[in-house]
Amino acid sequence: MTQQGPIRIAGDSHLGKVRTTNEDTLIIERRVGLYAVLDGMGGANAGDVASQLALETIRDFVLDRRTTLAPRALLEAAIVAGSTAVFTAAQQHRERHGMGTTVVACLVVDPTHVVVAHVGDSRAYLLRGGRLQTLTRDHTIVEELVGRGLLTAEEAERHPYKNVLSRNLGARAEPRVDLLELELRPGDRLLLCSDGLYGYASAEAIQYLLGSGDAPEHVARDLIDLALRGGGGDNVSTIVIETPAAAPSSTQVVRTRGALAWWQSRQRFLQVANDGGLTRNPIVRGLLPHEAIELVALSLCQAIYHDLEKSTGVNVWTFAQNLAAGWFERGGDWKAVRGLIDILGASARSVVDDIRAGDAQLGFLLDVAVSRALIVVELALGGLLAERLRQVDGDLIELHTTAVDTAEHETIEMYELHEVHELTGEGPRPSERFIDRPTIPFLRPDRPITSSGESAEVLNAIGKTITIARGRLSPRAELVAQILVALETVATDNGGNFAAAVLAARELYGVRSVDNAGVTPLYDALDKARILVASSVHQIRAPQAIRVRVLRALSTAHQRLVGATTGLVLEAVGPFSERLREVQAVTNELHDAVAKAERLRADLERRFATIVDPSLPWGARGTTEW
Amino acid sequence: MSTVPTLARSYEALRPKVLQRLLELRSTLDPSLGRLDDPTARAQIGAVLDHLGNFIVTGDLGLHRAFLHTFLAMRAAEAQSPASVLAMLVAIGDTAAQVAQEEGAGSPMGAELTLLLTRVTASTARGVNDLIAEELARRVGQHTELTKRAREGKR
Repeated sequence: MTQQGPIRIAGDSHLGKVRTTNEDTLIIERRVGLYAVLDGMGGANAGDVASQLALETIRDFVLDRRTTLAPRALLEAAIVAGSTAVFTAAQQHRERHGMGTTVVACLVVDPTHVVVAHVGDSRAYLLRGGRLQTLTRDHTIVEELVGRGLLTAEEAERHPYKNVLSRNLGARAEPRVDLLELELRPGDRLLLCSDGLYGYASAEAIQYLLGSGDAPEHVARDLIDLALRGGGGDNVSTIVIETPAAAPSSTQVVRTRGALAWWQSRQRFLQVANDGGLTRNPIVRGLLPHEAIELVALSLCQAIYHDLEKSTGVNVWTFAQNLAAGWFERGGDWKAVRGLIDILGASARSVVDDIRAGDAQLGFLLDVAVSRALIVVELALGGLLAERLRQVDGDLIELHTTAVDTAEHETIEMYELHEVHELTGEGPRPSERFIDRPTIPFLRPDRPITSSGESAEVLNAIGKTITIARGRLSPRAELVAQILVALETVATDNGGNFAAAVLAARELYGVRSVDNAGVTPLYDALDKARILVASSVHQIRAPQAIRVRVLRALSTAHQRLVGATTGLVLEAVGPFSERLREVQAVTNELHDAVAKAERLRADLERRFATIVDPSLPWGARGTTEW
Repeated sequence: MSTVPTLARSYEALRPKVLQRLLELRSTLDPSLGRLDDPTARAQIGAVLDHLGNFIVTGDLGLHRAFLHTFLAMRAAEAQSPASVLAMLVAIGDTAAQVAQEEGAGSPMGAELTLLLTRVTASTARGVNDLIAEELARRVGQHTELTKRAREGKR
């Protein structure tokens, strides 16, 4: 495999934020291609002694014997020699008894071939094609138990002895060394590290930094910073080994040549934006044309440039927020923002097309990167729209609650009047107000409609109301009975009844869907249930204040139930309504075409008739006289 | 000759890898995906990937919009905000494009599929924003109407 340039290596080590000594040591021996991280352990400063002693022994062994042993055997023997040295030293000095060290080492045989060896819980990772793989398995007691199927991975994660090593250099004179030979590919990155890194940083974050495309010395430093930000509870050491890439990665191309090509095309971007009508968009009304171009188009162009250069989306995100936040706050509509972004998107694509015509590969990479930038714009705008929707929802609920509060007293009085009127035929027929008020189908999941603090008296009264309402039903009105049960469940649910409403709506709507009767009977039943509930409230024996609270809880539960049902119905009919709209559009076009053909036919008939019979009333020259 | 069937086949071949990647990285890609249990996440992501495949074949914007409408309604019923649904859909599309770029590195078909998936994601983001904006306009209308009624009621 042809590779360009030499292998690049960098390493770094840090004390961490808690420890007072650094017991980690590194081997970076370029002459023989030997790289290793050692993590010492043992009290009374013995940890750093162990790792330093092992380091020197391993390094010297490889330097001395590299011509006489094959790479795999060389590395294994060197590590065993290191362990023997530590073990012997520990036996000779009582205060160093029990000292030891882990090791993870890599011997680069040639730019495509390495041997990796390890003892203990220092790790080797491989980043290939953007994905991180762990090459080593920790030599801990817990890992051994997992390997034998005696513990699950989850149990291992919580196990109190998860950090207790089952193997290390120094515990015995000749430890078992795990070895791995690896064929490297262009662009591969190897990482050797102590547990101070992976114990304080997630695998995803390590993958992100290792794949950033930055130079190994920066990556080694950044990884240490990452562990420190994660707590830095241990010494942390990293060595990054990068094989030369056959060609620069796509990220590097975009960050260098791509960003430059984009910026050099900015005049074209501005011109297309201007020609596309950016200066006529309502958002920039009041600005002079050159101000609008500068403030909007040039700002986005710059934001994309900076984001391309740094492989982020933060500048474009900020641009979109700045552009639309104020506009939406002033009550501006989405249409104007959408139009503006369309113009800018078209300008960006025009620039990318030009670049692509000159350099297909660069053009493709830029096309993807700029399209992603435009997706970031949509994401930022979506966030603003959703936030505005949440605010309007809140206002609507406030307004509706106020309206319901004032209506409740009137409703109870109204039903009392109703009953008098129905029983005796006397008194004025009350005007129907509350029950005709349309239920607004909106949902707000975070707002329980009956709080868990509702008194037992009210909950009891809700139950009584529903019992009375059910008693007034005919046995055939099964659906209304089901709705009444659902209303009681939703109104008395202590956990915040959003979920209860959705579940109940699903059950009710499911019944309708199965018997294929459509949704009209369901909505009719919902209306009947509402009327029935409202008229049953006054029949319970309870103070007026309790009855008001019962009605409030039940009417809001009803509103929630209708909202959830409407959501389900909309969800089901969405595709059909889209199709219907399309069919209607085609039908309208056909109508227009038929009308046009009719007019043409009539005109032709008139002309023909004039030619064959000049005595017809519209005259010899075809002019209409009636 | 159209390359769409070929691209659709390439996408179908990639789909298991995309699904696997999304399941592995779901908590880092999007918090709302991370909160889901494995079978639910698999079902939700699978539905979106299925739809992406159909959209690549048909290019039918009407069906695309209908799918987004349904998806938003279902997620709303599960108490997910529209913004998090948007982020989730973009994360899925973006990951599909990244997998296509990695797997098809250097090949024209890989490049074309990457670009196509990126554009489909852009179109998805726009579609979701259109739907949120329509919903917002409806609510603003309701708000105006209720305010008017409240004012009339006071008189």
